[in-house]
Amino acid sequence: MTNAEFRLMLENAVNGDPDALERLLNLYMPLINRLSRYAGWLDEDCRQYILLHITIHISEFRI
Amino acid sequence: MSLTEGKDELRGRFTRWIVITARNAQLSYLRAERRHPQTIPLDEVDLMIEDTALLSAGATPGGFDFVERQLADAFRELPLMRRRILELLFVEELSPTEIAAKLHCSVQHVYNQRSLALKRLRERLTKEKENDKR
Repeated sequence: MTNAEFRLMLENAVNGDPDALERLLNLYMPLINRLSRYAGWLDEDCRQYILLHITIHISEFRI
Repeated sequence: MSLTEGKDELRGRFTRWIVITARNAQLSYLRAERRHPQTIPLDEVDLMIEDTALLSAGATPGGFDFVERQLADAFRELPLMRRRILELLFVEELSPTEIAAKLHCSVQHVYNQRSLALKRLRERLTKEKENDKR
């Protein structure tokens, strides 16, 4: 993904485009999965909580 | 073009933002999990008892309460993943295969965790029963 494509996707996600947000979250899913692991196992509730938190707060990110 | 532009300053800045935001959410989740373990509140247990055949068998919410409390205490002390597996098995009634797919682990792991969790609950309840007799 080029820098320009990333910027466009991020701008759209911040402006509330659900498709762009989904693509952005998929891009960072390895990080989110890593933080959702508990004793080596994926905690689905924790992952949902993190995803929800990012979704709520992404509009606060200043481009 | 500066080095910062070449590496895309925006992407770097957003990556830092999402790392911090996700980590804050993780800590918040873990704090909430410790404060509010996933158990059924006792007042809801009483309501559930009223809806079951236990009443017709002579059970009363007050009389049943302490076994529920002991079980809830023992359940709360289980490791998080074992609690989750028991919930998926007995509350959501998923099969071990479905649980393994959901939790990204092997079916054998689900069986092992179920076995260990039930063993721990049984030991805990038996121990309390013996203590009550003394």
